[in-house]
Amino acid sequence: MSDTATVVGEESDLQGGHPVTEAIADGLLPGRIWLYTNYNCNLACSYCLTESSPRSERRELDPATMIEVAKQGRALGFTGLGVTGGEPFLLPWLPETIVAMAAELPVILLSNATLFVGERLERAAVLAGHDVSIQISLDSHIADVNDMARGPDNFDKVVEAVPRLIARGVHVRIATTTAWSPDDDRLEPLRQLVTSMGVAPEDHLVRPIVRRGRADELSLGIEARPIDIPSELTITADGAFWGSFGPTVRGGRLDTDLLLTRTVLPLSMPAEVLVGLLKGMPAGNDARLGIR
Amino acid sequence: MSRIDLLDAATAPISAKSSFADGDPGPIVAALANVPELLGPTLGFVGAALGDGAVSTRHKEFAILRTSALQGCQYCIHAHTAVAFDLGLSSDEIRALRGEMPIEEAFTNDAERRLIRWIDAMAGATGPIPSTVWEDVRTDFATHLLVELSVTIGATLFLNRFATAFELPTSAATAERLEEAGMQ
Repeated sequence: MSDTATVVGEESDLQGGHPVTEAIADGLLPGRIWLYTNYNCNLACSYCLTESSPRSERRELDPATMIEVAKQGRALGFTGLGVTGGEPFLLPWLPETIVAMAAELPVILLSNATLFVGERLERAAVLAGHDVSIQISLDSHIADVNDMARGPDNFDKVVEAVPRLIARGVHVRIATTTAWSPDDDRLEPLRQLVTSMGVAPEDHLVRPIVRRGRADELSLGIEARPIDIPSELTITADGAFWGSFGPTVRGGRLDTDLLLTRTVLPLSMPAEVLVGLLKGMPAGNDARLGIR
Repeated sequence: MSRIDLLDAATAPISAKSSFADGDPGPIVAALANVPELLGPTLGFVGAALGDGAVSTRHKEFAILRTSALQGCQYCIHAHTAVAFDLGLSSDEIRALRGEMPIEEAFTNDAERRLIRWIDAMAGATGPIPSTVWEDVRTDFATHLLVELSVTIGATLFLNRFATAFELPTSAATAERLEEAGMQ
């Protein structure tokens, strides 16, 4: 890590009006940073943006980099962190790293929740009491429909894991990926199921399938241009990207069209490139497709 | 076939799109775009080092083509053979700079011969530049011109190794021109 990283991360920089800090304060740059911990997964969902599966290369971020991103992100004025994969909980060092990151900024941690049994469940429980939410995917109240996209027995594992996590004091959100709009009445049984598991309605997120990665190969979901994708700074082992839908994979190859920089630290470097691009974009609503 | 992905308008990083806005920017840009944060600074340096300056374009092309030939960079030799033709160098001069005939047979101007010997010492050898070569070139070329040419040679050495390492392909248009001129 360069010395520059330390200098950029100092509190005094904020008082000087760093362009990234100003862009976040002005609402030009979203306040959340996404991190892809790894690309491998125990599942192989049909719409996966990164073609993640048990056979995928791990390509993981190391814990020190993740914690440094959190520290520098806070110093630059970012307001939250999102952590995704692959399946992050395949990484044995994950819970303690997330706790360290949450000491800097609130963390939303995405998981398929199929690993929360036995020792892994207790390891996840260390997140209780910290500013961390585990966001778990559940796409239908009908097991077969959910499992068609997400794999056998996924539904059963999720509905068992969610109450276990909540019982251990872990904050849980549910994310539903669907072709239906968030207010579609057909989602009502799922909303009821989510509530019955102890998840608050405001912690149930409904979002569309984005046609990138494996979803593009299967012609699933909605087409999205860069301006349609929330421009959240996204950090991976392959570099920094425009948005969490940026570092997608198709046909085994990483999409580079939304790549910002290969350099991820100091964080100010990719963040400044992103701000520069945003300042050059026409005014508009970059969340018009409801992609979250 | 290149050893690495040569990005195009569809795969170019969003931070490098402007380099692809006017069509195919060529394999060097297409390769550099894999690390988009290096694209601007590298092109800025290379553009300044190889572009117009106080040194004449003829002598600058001596440095580029001769260095490329000494380094055996096929991509750069092909590209700058075409450039040398455009700048009005004769076939014999180009062949000599490419190492295909003696310099003395193609160049009659003593100052240019001394310049090419200095380029050879800069780009085709290691260690110090022999005093006689330095003193000879100094008789005809001012310090600032030699500083500029040394930067041109340095940038060319970088491009030579870059293009050779990744086996960048000669463009079809350049290959066609060289074939017509009998200089593949």
